[in-house]
Amino acid sequence: MQEALQFTPQVAPSSIANILWLVPAVPMAAAGVIALLKQPRRRLAASLAIGSLGISLLVALAAFGHVLAGWMSGHAVRETVNFTWLQFASSNVDLGWVLDPLSAVMLVMVTFVGLLIFIYSTGYMAHDENFTRFFCFLSLFAGAMLGVVIANSLLLLFMCWELVGLTSYLLIGFWYQKPSAAAAAKKAFLTTRIGDIFFLLGIVWLFAQTGTLLFYNNGAGSMEPSALGGLLATPAAIGLSAATAIALLIFAGAAGKSGQMPLHVWLPDAMEGPTPVSALIHAATMVAAGVYLVARVFPLMQVGAPATGTTTALTVVTWVGASTAVFAALIAVAQNDIKRILAYSTVSQLGYMMAGLAMGGVAVGMFHLITHAFFKALLFMGAGSVIHGCHEEQDIRKMGGLQTDMRITFATYGIGMLALSGFPLLFSGFWSKDGILEAASHWSVAKAPFYMLVFGALLTAFYMTRQMSYVFFGKWRGHGHAHESPRVMTIPLAILAFFAIALGVIGTPAWPWFRSFLTDKPAEIGWVGFNEPGLVALMLTSTLVVFVGLGLGWILYGNRSPKADEADVLEKAMPPIWRVLHERLYVDELYGVTVIAFYAWWAKVADWLDRRVWGGMVSAITGLFELLAKFNRFFDTNWVDGTFDKGCEELSAGGGLVARVQSGRVQTYLRLLALAVVVLAAILIWSSPR
Amino acid sequence: MNFAHLFLSTLPETVLEVAALLVLVVDLGFLRKTELKTRTSMATLIGVLGCVASLWAQIWVSGSKGVVEYGIDGTHDVLLFNLRWAGAAQAGILVLTAFTLLLLTRTAFTRHAGEYVAVVLMSATGGLLVSSAQDLLIIFIGLELLSLGLYILTAFAKKSGNSAEAALKYYLFGGMSAAFLLFGFSYLYGLSGSTNLDQIADAISKSGVIAASPLLYIALVSIAAGLGFKVAAVPFHLWAPDAYEGAPAPAAAFIASVSKVASFALLITITTAVLSPKWSLILVVLSTASMLVGNLAALAQVSVRRLLAYSAIAHAGYMLLGLAYLRVDGTVSWWDGAKAFGSANALLYYILTYGITTVGAFGVIGVVERTTGSDRMDAFLGLHKRNPLLAAVLLVLFLSLAGIPPLVGFWAKFNLFAAVLGVSAGVVPFALVALAVGMSAVSLYYYLQVLKRAYVMPPTDETPIRVDPVTMLVLLLIGASVVLLGCFPSVLQNWIAGFYPVL
Repeated sequence: MQEALQFTPQVAPSSIANILWLVPAVPMAAAGVIALLKQPRRRLAASLAIGSLGISLLVALAAFGHVLAGWMSGHAVRETVNFTWLQFASSNVDLGWVLDPLSAVMLVMVTFVGLLIFIYSTGYMAHDENFTRFFCFLSLFAGAMLGVVIANSLLLLFMCWELVGLTSYLLIGFWYQKPSAAAAAKKAFLTTRIGDIFFLLGIVWLFAQTGTLLFYNNGAGSMEPSALGGLLATPAAIGLSAATAIALLIFAGAAGKSGQMPLHVWLPDAMEGPTPVSALIHAATMVAAGVYLVARVFPLMQVGAPATGTTTALTVVTWVGASTAVFAALIAVAQNDIKRILAYSTVSQLGYMMAGLAMGGVAVGMFHLITHAFFKALLFMGAGSVIHGCHEEQDIRKMGGLQTDMRITFATYGIGMLALSGFPLLFSGFWSKDGILEAASHWSVAKAPFYMLVFGALLTAFYMTRQMSYVFFGKWRGHGHAHESPRVMTIPLAILAFFAIALGVIGTPAWPWFRSFLTDKPAEIGWVGFNEPGLVALMLTSTLVVFVGLGLGWILYGNRSPKADEADVLEKAMPPIWRVLHERLYVDELYGVTVIAFYAWWAKVADWLDRRVWGGMVSAITGLFELLAKFNRFFDTNWVDGTFDKGCEELSAGGGLVARVQSGRVQTYLRLLALAVVVLAAILIWSSPR
Repeated sequence: MNFAHLFLSTLPETVLEVAALLVLVVDLGFLRKTELKTRTSMATLIGVLGCVASLWAQIWVSGSKGVVEYGIDGTHDVLLFNLRWAGAAQAGILVLTAFTLLLLTRTAFTRHAGEYVAVVLMSATGGLLVSSAQDLLIIFIGLELLSLGLYILTAFAKKSGNSAEAALKYYLFGGMSAAFLLFGFSYLYGLSGSTNLDQIADAISKSGVIAASPLLYIALVSIAAGLGFKVAAVPFHLWAPDAYEGAPAPAAAFIASVSKVASFALLITITTAVLSPKWSLILVVLSTASMLVGNLAALAQVSVRRLLAYSAIAHAGYMLLGLAYLRVDGTVSWWDGAKAFGSANALLYYILTYGITTVGAFGVIGVVERTTGSDRMDAFLGLHKRNPLLAAVLLVLFLSLAGIPPLVGFWAKFNLFAAVLGVSAGVVPFALVALAVGMSAVSLYYYLQVLKRAYVMPPTDETPIRVDPVTMLVLLLIGASVVLLGCFPSVLQNWIAGFYPVL
């Protein structure tokens, strides 16, 4: 099941590994330059952003080629470039970057999808007055995200991670004039911060235990056997080893970023940002950073697993992922905002990735991450195209019949939808999801996650069919006339649609290239891959499930063209359940009456303490000092000044310089000097043993 | 001893002296009829070139001929030691001197540019000597060379009464401190029979009688008074606010940076020789007093120069804390600097970064003063509208002084405090570090007072401030280095550690 990673030790980093830092640095530099541009320099801003990411893409492709060449010649590449960032006492804090299959794949995905979304944005944001600011943030985001990808140090990863969080905040609140956008930005920032605190604790703990934050460092890194062995042998609390505890803390950070339960609440609200942002950050890349992080620290998660079993950390990840997958899919069924449906779908798919990682290893989870990035970016950009075409309308009940008005968008969106639903054989989503289901069916601990994920797959097909029916079929129910989007938006859609289909090829059981590439196992080409027991049955099951979902959706919603204010079919059938789902299972409300209420209460207490207790102490001290000052002044005016004035009068006769030296003061200085020496000597002699 | 060897070892000092004389010759000999602007530029140019040449010599010396030994009948007697902290301090002094010279352009406080530059260079020579000296006599000569130059520089604005007043106070105070220092040195000599620090250290450590003698205490206290004056530690700080306020801005920058670097390098040298619980106690007392008085008094200042003076006192307090817990034990000795970032290195990191930041701060103040005629806080009102770049540099420098990450001042504090706790983890050092951290928080208040005026408060005057390109370039360079060295803290750490001989 969980393949051990076999990597040949590194001799010296290749030249491409040495310049890998350019990948994040170029977009960051571009962001800096764009920040200095004036508002009207729109063309320049966009070309800088796109050009810089283009350069990053080229470097990323070269790096990928290098890794691929290594793989072809039979050994997996893992090259690291590390340097000491700072040292204190006898500890070093090292930073560095790593080029291995995992980072290479991720680099190409992020730069490629990012580039398409950048190009798409020039069309989508064409009429926004803050166009340059938008591209500044986008570039900064791309740089930070690529930094997360190449980081070979948990600390560097964390820095970029926080930068990513910052840009996410800035971009969600890009239209900060809208109160809902500002609130959503705040919510996203605070919610992910909860996870980040645990993440930071994990980092500090790891550093305390192993003395390094590098992942790989020729045997001395924290993800390498010697450090992991030590972590496993160190007990933490309640029967957990330090390895498990640290892994769980890091997973908390990943859960925050990747919108896993119970920290998923920010992601649907994040749809307040511009749609390209939703596509880039809240579907394809940033939210996947959490999954990527788990893949990066997978050795830590996995350490100590028995031959066929799993570890506590991975079990936790599995359950969190599987439940997120189902709950988010349930909520998605009862939403009416086109982007919110996709957002919950993203949360659900991230759950799949987490569960896939935990049950099937790095390759399974990462494959779904990559395919999902393409088709979810496609869906979001398609949704953006729809919103654009329907004059900024987001409610799917007020759309309809767009299949004739927006042909390209319809076709590409359809491909994305089928990929997401896992339509058999043709689409990449089928193969990646199938990998996860297969891993789940073999999982040794429990069968429940498998059934949960299958049910989630059914729901996915169902809600996507519902959305398609509302948006593209039936009659037009909105205002005005819908129109197709410009070329600059539709061409990226077409490219992504191509990959939404084509990517499946690299992960089919017949040619499991992706798994082989990531785990350095030779690929068995041919139909033997299908001979694995139960695999065909499983594929049939999942096909069946998908068709049931699609069919149910079509029966309930297809071609019905309900009126805009008409209640949903399901709402009519079972109002209470619909209500609960429509209100997103009341999670936000639950947090409102528990966590937030507690915070409000605690803030009041702190405020009271501040005003009464600390404030009182401060004013007491202030009063004391005032009293002292008053005494001083009294002393000064009545005693010192008297003699001082007299001295002045006497000396002013001498005139010249001496008077201007504010007579007496230098002498006072010197007297004080002598006094200080005497006092110091007295202290010394008094303190010495007799 | 070989005199050729001595000459080679003191090559940096010699180069600097030659440059000083050259400045005088050129300025007084060839440029008498030319206008002040040309003369200032020429003098500055020669001075900076002299610094660069001296730096080159210094790097060469610290690479090969680091130690000058003086041996009669085989005794080990080191006169100069150009390696370890001395090497880093000397390089720092030369760089800082070059920066302060560059700040001279466009100032009009004096018509005697040549003399000014010459005095700066001679004073810097004293600084170089002081940093590397290992013998009481050389230390004293170096200190006097350094100090006399400083008195002159303080008085250099001859038309300003403030300048003269400050110089006189500085001079009187300095004279008395030098007397104390010499008095302490004479006791040390009397106790140990040698003027060489190595042998003094030997004598103290071998003889319990000397180590417990009240005479030694008197000697230590007197030395502390003399050197406490140089670094402006409370209660020997009284001259500092007046001197900082009265001296011309480039001179004040020189006093605040170069003289500090040299004095702290000397303090490290002396501390390694006489380190004992008693010496630590003195340093702790001075340190605590400086941290408290410096930070609290700075809160009440309205003149930015006086504010910087009190902040300098506070910073001296932090550094003295590092000095009080200097690690000189045999296990992780200062020889082992490449491996362990010891407290001496942390201290050097602090003083060098503090020096460069202060030079920049005085540069900004000098520009503002020239335009508005005042160094009051209100002169900084609306600075970011009047010259955004200048305001940005001020922001970076002041935040660095307050110790805000990722600027270099943060790492300086972090390294220093970590080094203190690394040497001793008792209650007292912990409490002292806690006090230092708390006082750093207090210091943020007065730095922000200035920044608030520069950025937030409504400006009273919005006419742009024009800055001479050379000055702006220097200030930008300083600002950029404060940011970049902060982002890559190990660069400077490794550089300092590089001065340790590889054994």
